[in-house]
Amino acid sequence: MSYAADLPTAPEFSQAPGTPQSAPAQAVHWTRKPWFINALAVAILLVVWQYLNSVNERVPSINEVVSFLGVELGGGSHGGVSRGEFWGPLSISLQRYVIGLAIGVPVGGLLGLLIGGSRRFRSVLNDTVLVLLVLPSVVWAFTASLWFGIGSTAPVVAVVLTAVPFMAVNLSSGIRGLDPGLALMSDAFRVPRLRRATHLLVGGALSNAVTGVRLALMTSWNSLLIVEWFGTASGVGWRAKHWYDAQRFEGFVAWILLFVVFITLLDWLVLRRLEHRSTRWQQQPTLTFAEGEVT
Amino acid sequence: MATILIENLTKVYPPTPTYPQQVQALGGVSMSVTGNVFVAVLGPSGSGKTTLLNIVAGVEEPTAGAVRVVQDGVPAQVGYVFQEPRLLPWRSVLDNMLYVQNRKSDRSKREAEFYLSMVGLSDVAHLYPAQLSAGMQQRVGIARAFLVNPDVLLMDEPFSHMDALTGRSLRDYLQRIWAHTRKTALFVTHDVGEAVELADRILMLRPGGVVFDDIPVNLQRPRRPDDAAVRAVETEVLRRFDSMEAAVRFGDQRN
Ligand SMILES: Nc1ncnc2c1ncn2[C@@H]1O[C@H](COP(=O)(O)OP(=O)(O)O)[C@@H](O)[C@H]1O
Ligand SMILES: [Mg+2]
Repeated sequence: MSYAADLPTAPEFSQAPGTPQSAPAQAVHWTRKPWFINALAVAILLVVWQYLNSVNERVPSINEVVSFLGVELGGGSHGGVSRGEFWGPLSISLQRYVIGLAIGVPVGGLLGLLIGGSRRFRSVLNDTVLVLLVLPSVVWAFTASLWFGIGSTAPVVAVVLTAVPFMAVNLSSGIRGLDPGLALMSDAFRVPRLRRATHLLVGGALSNAVTGVRLALMTSWNSLLIVEWFGTASGVGWRAKHWYDAQRFEGFVAWILLFVVFITLLDWLVLRRLEHRSTRWQQQPTLTFAEGEVT
Repeated sequence: MATILIENLTKVYPPTPTYPQQVQALGGVSMSVTGNVFVAVLGPSGSGKTTLLNIVAGVEEPTAGAVRVVQDGVPAQVGYVFQEPRLLPWRSVLDNMLYVQNRKSDRSKREAEFYLSMVGLSDVAHLYPAQLSAGMQQRVGIARAFLVNPDVLLMDEPFSHMDALTGRSLRDYLQRIWAHTRKTALFVTHDVGEAVELADRILMLRPGGVVFDDIPVNLQRPRRPDDAAVRAVETEVLRRFDSMEAAVRFGDQRN
């Protein structure tokens, strides 16, 4: 029997608790805006760079690096038979990166759910995952290259092995941090298993999962570059090493710069937004109400 | 008609690393509650009130004894209001309601909105719990318990974390919504005035989880906490509590 059906409205009860008053937006001085701080950081970096160039001739100038980048991006000539290459190495690396993440993130996420949700899995897996976490990506790079030789398997495996522990550790600690009172509440109301998994576990650990993804993406990008540097003959890491070995330091620096730009863009355009969205519920100001309610 | 039948219920917690002695939370509680009554379980903190409700709700196992919570012979649907609101912080107020709803349909959303309106929260259904005051969050907790159309309503000191004025207005909400639905209710509290204001019957627990008194409250509704009749029963309940304490203390001295 349904009471709502008996009483579609309840006028005697619906004394609305006033109107929410949102907090007034505070004006931030322009010197404290993120864009200004970022621009300042870049400017300082450029000044330091130019200074290093003036004291050490092996440090290429900004100018040299930029014009090298132009050739590399446009496919022009670097002198002799050597030609600019950019999209080729980039697409190979991105492919490895995406495949590795497509395996590593869900596998790590699943491990995180198991470790966070079950005591038995925790005792078996927790230390293994921690070992994975503390080993530097260089170790994966060399191990994977040793196992799989030159080719795309080693970099993909390195990306997977780096992504897994970040996902697992973040997600499992998110789940373990959940209020046990919420589980008891779900028990008391006999909330179905599936709804519980999606709303309580995933909902509660979502912000941790996004943080895990963010860290996994950044760190496994590094792993990828290292494997490509030492263990492959293709991809962006290999390209950077190629110019390093050829003692073309403007080329080496140009590629390092591209790596930094790539990961920064990824972080700004995708990951931070995801993180912001997934933690929205924590960031809301508490509203005050016009009702005579003391809080 | 719903019935709560409790027979010789005992709960002993084993020693823990932090408290290396076993704790008897309930020491043989028996009671029987039938029909549309509001029963208060009154006791000081540590007297096993939360343990009792958790066992009745089926989320904790008794050490010994039996509990039956039935509606017309089948297991009853239970609604539980906790001491803390216990809302999912990452879901809106309305989604928190729908989280416990046993059917999913347009109707269930309408019912959720109806019970939110009963506690005066129609305007905040889309907000996150953290955006509400403690009193409003607890009102969501009350609306949620009624939403599952419970045969039995369990409430664990739902107003003890509120300041006195908020508690007063929430008791008022509860009285009105209960008068409307008249669910079999088990309401746990350490507040004598609250018990008298709300209940048809008061069961008194003492530490160790033993029922030592069972007092009927035959007063008209709605009641106000400052009604003379309410005050009179309150005095009587306190007197009985004092004599129980004196008896326990006297017993201690003789040992
Ligand atoms: N999970 C637990 N483990 C050990 N002891 C507990 C546990 N829960 C409650 N207790 C103990 O049982 C007794 C009764 O607790 P509780 O039911 O919470 O009392 P109340 O709700 O009346 O304050 C207390 O002494 C408390 O410390
Ligand atoms: Mg308690």
